[in-house]
Amino acid sequence: MADLTDAIARLDPPPLATHDREDELCAAYEAAFAADRETWINYAAPAVERLERGSFSLEWMNTDGSAWGTQVKPSSRGLTFMDCNRSKAYGTVADSVPDHHRNLTPRGSIRDPYKDQLPVYDDFVVTEKWDLWADNVSTLYEEAKARQWNATKDIAWDELEELPEDLEKAACQLATFLTEIEFLAGDFPAKWMYRIPAEFLEIKAFLATQIMDEARHLEVFRKRALAGGGGLLHVNPMFEWASKALMASPTHTSGAYFLNLIGEGFILSVFRGGEFLARTHVDREIFRRCLQDEARHVAFGTIELKNYLEHHPKPDEAMALMHRYADIAEVLVSTSILQPVVLEPLAVLMGGGLDEIDSGMDGVAFLWDVVKEEYLQRCDRAGLFRRDVCQFGELPWKAAC
Amino acid sequence: MLTTFPSVEWFARLGELMEENRVVHEHVGEIDCTCVWTVFDADGEGTDRHFRTTFELYSLTDVQEVSEDDRVKANFILETDVWVWKEMLENIAENGGKPDLEHSLNRMSLPGVPIRLWAEDPLDRDMFFRFNGSLQEFVNESYKIPTQYLVE
Repeated sequence: MADLTDAIARLDPPPLATHDREDELCAAYEAAFAADRETWINYAAPAVERLERGSFSLEWMNTDGSAWGTQVKPSSRGLTFMDCNRSKAYGTVADSVPDHHRNLTPRGSIRDPYKDQLPVYDDFVVTEKWDLWADNVSTLYEEAKARQWNATKDIAWDELEELPEDLEKAACQLATFLTEIEFLAGDFPAKWMYRIPAEFLEIKAFLATQIMDEARHLEVFRKRALAGGGGLLHVNPMFEWASKALMASPTHTSGAYFLNLIGEGFILSVFRGGEFLARTHVDREIFRRCLQDEARHVAFGTIELKNYLEHHPKPDEAMALMHRYADIAEVLVSTSILQPVVLEPLAVLMGGGLDEIDSGMDGVAFLWDVVKEEYLQRCDRAGLFRRDVCQFGELPWKAAC
Repeated sequence: MLTTFPSVEWFARLGELMEENRVVHEHVGEIDCTCVWTVFDADGEGTDRHFRTTFELYSLTDVQEVSEDDRVKANFILETDVWVWKEMLENIAENGGKPDLEHSLNRMSLPGVPIRLWAEDPLDRDMFFRFNGSLQEFVNESYKIPTQYLVE
């Protein structure tokens, strides 16, 4: 385990803190701006001179190279991305993004004439469709917008019933862990969203909904811990190591697999099991609403992985790489879950009290099997066959005699 | 007037109630899927019946009784015997349109018993989770339907 954690720590050295370096950073920023000064002047000067002459360019009214005249038609549910993408001009997604499109220029706009003028965003490194696309992304984006909810008003907080202290502590410990998880689930897509060119706008838009979903989840679990008169309890150091490894995933697909298939798949099963864990109607409602959101993320991750494995230019190499990532990810997720701050509150809630923790562990063991089987089914669906090599073992627990 | 469970008429009536309850469904969100509700031993004499419901946006757009073989054309299937469905629907009615903690669709299907949720494609199965709130609201409206069963 020490070797593993050391290896994880080496994957991605943390960036330097910015505090106490503001002056240095500002000076570097000024120098970078000065280096581009001529470029800025070249763009600004003609516009200023024209305005000073009182004249207009109106070049923007030239529609050459555009799809001007295209009229997309709304369907019964309004004007969706799917409706827009029926137009070949706007719906054709590039297989590979050239450097002059590694920026925020919208797909379908007149951008090629400006090829030599456009900057390349160095951070926009996810340039291949096989590395991020999922055919269900537009549907899931529309669904995500339509099924948003509000953790402030849609949960009947005033109906939260008082629980015995052991159950309230378990509910609060679980809520603490889930809050910690939801930060990760939002931060990962946020990190990669800025690495994706505007060509893949549907992916960027979907990731934005995922970030919003996770913000709402961390909000609702934080509120749950506070609303019952208990409060937040213990963090999970092992989970923080796993999260750090996930955030350091070197490619988008490897991290998205780690997050969406394993991580979100596990959380989806926990939320499903939430109706066994829930001791109040309020808790049940929280879990049900969250599970709907997580199921979208899992659906996206599954099809994204399938796309990667099917369209990678070197499919055998892609398959071998994903198995190597999976060998690490499965160990990290399963060991995170095994921690007492996760399993024990689950068992107390499942059993109905601290006195019933042993019987609760039977329920947890069942849930563990559900997590594993549903994960393997989704891997099968994506074409990543893990059944014979899966690192999820049996739950290493037996009741005390 | 009593409506028999299970029947096309019973599910169609649930669809009408979904329209009447549209404000709630619009709040919960769009639902786009097909679901088969299988009722084993529907008449107490060993007859299994299967009803395919198609949802679009906020509406039930189609109900059909289908054959056992045709069930797999749906996104997912919820199946159990008539006694379990009866217990669930009666619990919803007793609680004024909201099941207790033991009788929600999700709760009753998670362990695989008494309700079995399945699909050939796990992503289709996952649609049950994606639209879970809408499906629960759909069956919750059953408390407004005076229902008769073919079993005691």
